[in-house]
Amino acid sequence: MTIAPEQPLLSLPPEPVSQGSWKAVAEKWRDPSGLKRLAVALGAYVGCLIVFGLFVLTQSKNPFSVYNSIIHSAFLSSGSLAEVLVRSVPIVLAALAVSVPARAGLVNVGGEGQLIMGAVAATGFGVALGHHVPGPVGWLIMAIGGIVAGAVWAGIAGVLRVAVGANEAVTTLLLNFIANDIMLYLLYQPWKDPSGGGQPESRPLTSNEVLPKIFGSSINLGVIIALVVAFGVYVLVKRTGWGFALRVVGGNQVAASRAGIPVTKLMISSMMVGGGLAGLGGMLYLAGTQVQLLPGGTLSYGYIAFLAAFLGRHDPFKVVLSALLFSAIAIGVPGLQLNFGLDGNVVDVLLALIVMAPLGTSVYRKQAF
Amino acid sequence: MNGFEQALATGVEGGTIILFPALGELIGERAGIVNLGTEGCMLVGALAAYAVGASTGSAWLGVGAGFLAAALVGLLHAVLVVKQRADQLASGLVVWFLAIGLTSVLGTSFVSKTVTPLPILKVPLLGSLPWIGNILFNHDALVYVSFGLVALVWWALYRTRIGLVLRATGERPEVVAVAGRRPELVQIAAVTLGAALAGIGGAQLSVGYVDSWFDDMTNGYGFIAVAVVLFAAWRPWLVVVGAYAFGVALAAASVLQAHGVAVNQYLLDTLPYLVTLVALVVFARGGRSRAPEGLARALANSS
Repeated sequence: MTIAPEQPLLSLPPEPVSQGSWKAVAEKWRDPSGLKRLAVALGAYVGCLIVFGLFVLTQSKNPFSVYNSIIHSAFLSSGSLAEVLVRSVPIVLAALAVSVPARAGLVNVGGEGQLIMGAVAATGFGVALGHHVPGPVGWLIMAIGGIVAGAVWAGIAGVLRVAVGANEAVTTLLLNFIANDIMLYLLYQPWKDPSGGGQPESRPLTSNEVLPKIFGSSINLGVIIALVVAFGVYVLVKRTGWGFALRVVGGNQVAASRAGIPVTKLMISSMMVGGGLAGLGGMLYLAGTQVQLLPGGTLSYGYIAFLAAFLGRHDPFKVVLSALLFSAIAIGVPGLQLNFGLDGNVVDVLLALIVMAPLGTSVYRKQAF
Repeated sequence: MNGFEQALATGVEGGTIILFPALGELIGERAGIVNLGTEGCMLVGALAAYAVGASTGSAWLGVGAGFLAAALVGLLHAVLVVKQRADQLASGLVVWFLAIGLTSVLGTSFVSKTVTPLPILKVPLLGSLPWIGNILFNHDALVYVSFGLVALVWWALYRTRIGLVLRATGERPEVVAVAGRRPELVQIAAVTLGAALAGIGGAQLSVGYVDSWFDDMTNGYGFIAVAVVLFAAWRPWLVVVGAYAFGVALAAASVLQAHGVAVNQYLLDTLPYLVTLVALVVFARGGRSRAPEGLARALANSS
């Protein structure tokens, strides 16, 4: 993250380095000027892509055709753009859900659970309301339900952090698994669609509740909402006092509380804002794309979003770009399964490697990541 | 065996799945490094053990493979964090993600294979004791190895020079450096060893407990192991208690179902996570002040 200066685990005074020794070379390399830094960063990304190519090779597949397939489905085929945008809705919002608390120094790995709870709440309201209310009213109620559910789910971790100091990275992870089990419970028992042929799935939303497609394309209203909300988050964290206070808390809690900033309140509220964003993401994905709640419906978007948030260094604009990039890669999965017989989770390897590039070069950057 | 005894016995066997990774994580955290990739190390260990066990017919060779494969994953995390100064939590999660992807791709061909599981060894005499015998001494050998390991870790941490250096590294690496040791090496070794132990936990899961391989089979147990270390406040004997509590929660679900308790399976599945969460909340306050200082510093600057 861009705010706190890196605190090395080990802070020793620098040793005097004699010129010409290998240490001098290493020292120079560790403190490169702009152009060199760029080269290191690019080299890391290229290296990671090569590593992935080698991995593909071990599966006796041609790396070039695999990359070609990913690029084709992501950017070149007709409808690529619409598909990327539609898929990016939960990823963008769950990634922002990581970034907002991160600015206060909190690690929200609970995007997955918050997406699920948002989708669960939206399903509950959506199925109950059905045709009783006109579409927009239904959307609004579902959205509020999703936001509140996500905010509460993240808020639990926030409160536990502030009240008893329970590490929020660990608690949000545990809450993900609980959320998933709650969803499965609902889908296998009370919410199971009686006309679903025994499948664990909820009743589908009624036609008036499904978010409409716009511009005669396959892009639904959720995409527009997500983009507007993303802009709202940008304004919130960059242009408001609340956003500034978050940064202060993230930089130095003690200084923040001395300066009269209500630290605990901010920590909890940043988690809840994050959770609300992910909850909205779950609702929009449900009402725009899935139409009914399904097991595994979130496709670990919550975790992909965490990686995207990290790649974007918690800067709202860059986070949205990373999320778009990752959803572009993620939509390549069916192609890889169909054309190469590769397990769909192979993209997890690629995404992890892409994030490993900046992680592996953290030492070369002046600022912490 | 009655149901209660059965639940406790299964609890010990299941708890061993967590005990190895938790002890490993304890070692790493005592040196000042958290490994959220413990989950990934378990997954890699589980697959390596299953693959080698199924191919060679020896589950023990599998355990060895799980140990080594997970050590490699841990080494990656250690180098990223210690040498490259990557953020600990992020690096751990990325390593986990990498492990999910790798194991599901490489594991596809092993889903349908069968393995000869680790044999159940009843300890002579001790195994015939009423109650205790079935609960503690009628398991696969990894369970007994874990008993020894707890004692070994405790002894090594508190009674040996190596343990002292390790703990000092977790508190003040500068001091260790001034004393002429290399804290970075200590950290890398500790994290790698810890990850290797997580791999054994994965092996206990795949070739000792459920005797099969499927995608993402560790199901968050590695994260539970990390949580166990937190609420055990970095003390080996409390790690044992936490791990077995998890094991019992895991076993309770299946025992309750077998006795016809009409609770939804998925609600019961939340039990291990809920128990862990509650334990974190109950013990968190007392534990935090015991955190290795270097660890606390690293985490405070994290995200």
